Amino acid sequence: MTDNAVMEQVSAGQVAQLAVLFERYHRPLFRYFVSMNRDRETAEDLVQDVFFRMLRYRTSYNPAQSFTSWMYQIARNAGVDRLRKRRTEVVDIETFADRRAELVSASPGPEESASRGQDLALLRRALDRLPEDKREILVLSRFQGMKYDDIAAVLGCEVATVKVRVYRAIRALEQIYFALEREKVS
Amino acid sequence: MTCDQAKTRMTEYWSLALGEAEQKEFSEHLASCEACRSEVSRIGALWQSLDLLPVEEPSGKVRERFYEMLGAYRQGLASVETRKGEPWWRKPVWQIAAAAAVLAIGMGIGYGVRGGGQPPGEVSQLREEVANMRQLVALSLLQQQSASERLRGVSWSYQVEPSDKEVLNALVTAVNHDPNVNVRLAAVDALRPFTGSPATHLAARNAVVQALPKQTVPIVQVALIDFLAELKERNAAPELRRLVSDPDIDSGVRKRAEWALERMQ
Repeated sequence: MTDNAVMEQVSAGQVAQLAVLFERYHRPLFRYFVSMNRDRETAEDLVQDVFFRMLRYRTSYNPAQSFTSWMYQIARNAGVDRLRKRRTEVVDIETFADRRAELVSASPGPEESASRGQDLALLRRALDRLPEDKREILVLSRFQGMKYDDIAAVLGCEVATVKVRVYRAIRALEQIYFALEREKVS
Repeated sequence: MTCDQAKTRMTEYWSLALGEAEQKEFSEHLASCEACRSEVSRIGALWQSLDLLPVEEPSGKVRERFYEMLGAYRQGLASVETRKGEPWWRKPVWQIAAAAAVLAIGMGIGYGVRGGGQPPGEVSQLREEVANMRQLVALSLLQQQSASERLRGVSWSYQVEPSDKEVLNALVTAVNHDPNVNVRLAAVDALRPFTGSPATHLAARNAVVQALPKQTVPIVQVALIDFLAELKERNAAPELRRLVSDPDIDSGVRKRAEWALERMQ
């Protein structure tokens, strides 16, 4: 049964069917959130939040829309709300970006011990340093395997714009990666 | 094709998402433009290496919390719907008024009469909700890719009603087809409660009989033979005899089959 058909059932009141979608998508959603904020605990909370919102707003689901686009729209909103809440809770907190930069520049973890691991750790650090909008579009297209028209629906832009933005994101990643590599050598 | 146009197609080229005509046009451009060719190879390597980043897995708590949340939501939904359908005299305000009146009358006439129990409808509805939830968890877990998740699914099956045919079928499928021996063994054990339920005992016994010829791993064969001996399932006798007389079968399995045949007599 397709995602859209299952979500239609949930929307019609068969809420237990949400379990089918949970089993299909909780891992990709978790990876999306971890890639976006590098915090496993927050990512797990956000996964829970997304499925709760699906239940809460299930009647607003439009079967003509792709389920994954709708789900990632909810995921983005959940992420933004979480960030907003954190900002209001802690007045003196730096911006999320600053906090991320701190995390990124922290001493390298054990994953950087092996030589191949070093390259991957460098790549991970480069990805973490990428501005949020660029990182998000790479995560959606590269890690979540979403089609460009679904990404366009999530981000509310044209497919042509998505293509340009994905290209710019990978170019930016390349520049950061090589800058980090040069730092390492010197 | 210009270089700018080529750049916006690179990511689709790496993802093998270009159409035939686009692919041709793109390749022609690459053949004639060294700058783009070098970019495709340089950034393409980075694009591909993103695949090598370790995949993060959520902890088991995520699933636990989800099913708790879903259960609570369904329960809440059911109680709201029950309330919606209730006549006016069952709404809380009237119930309180009625209870006060009954109490006053009751106090007047003494404590001779005792009513009992909870409304049976709500209790059975709640039971059904819980049963559905357990069934759903067991079935979902049994379909997972990871063997440890499927093992958890087998464990969950003990919490469903042994009359549940869907869960029985999923366990039988696991016994016959699961690639992991541990899951197959656990599923054999999990069939036991189903052989004791009037609704499923025939199907469960037949499934055990039919599973034996499909197995080739001695430890699973022995588990099934023990189970058949315990059930004294005479329909399994021909297969047991075949095992006893087949020299290619593991000697431990042959001995166990012989023992089971003796026990059935």
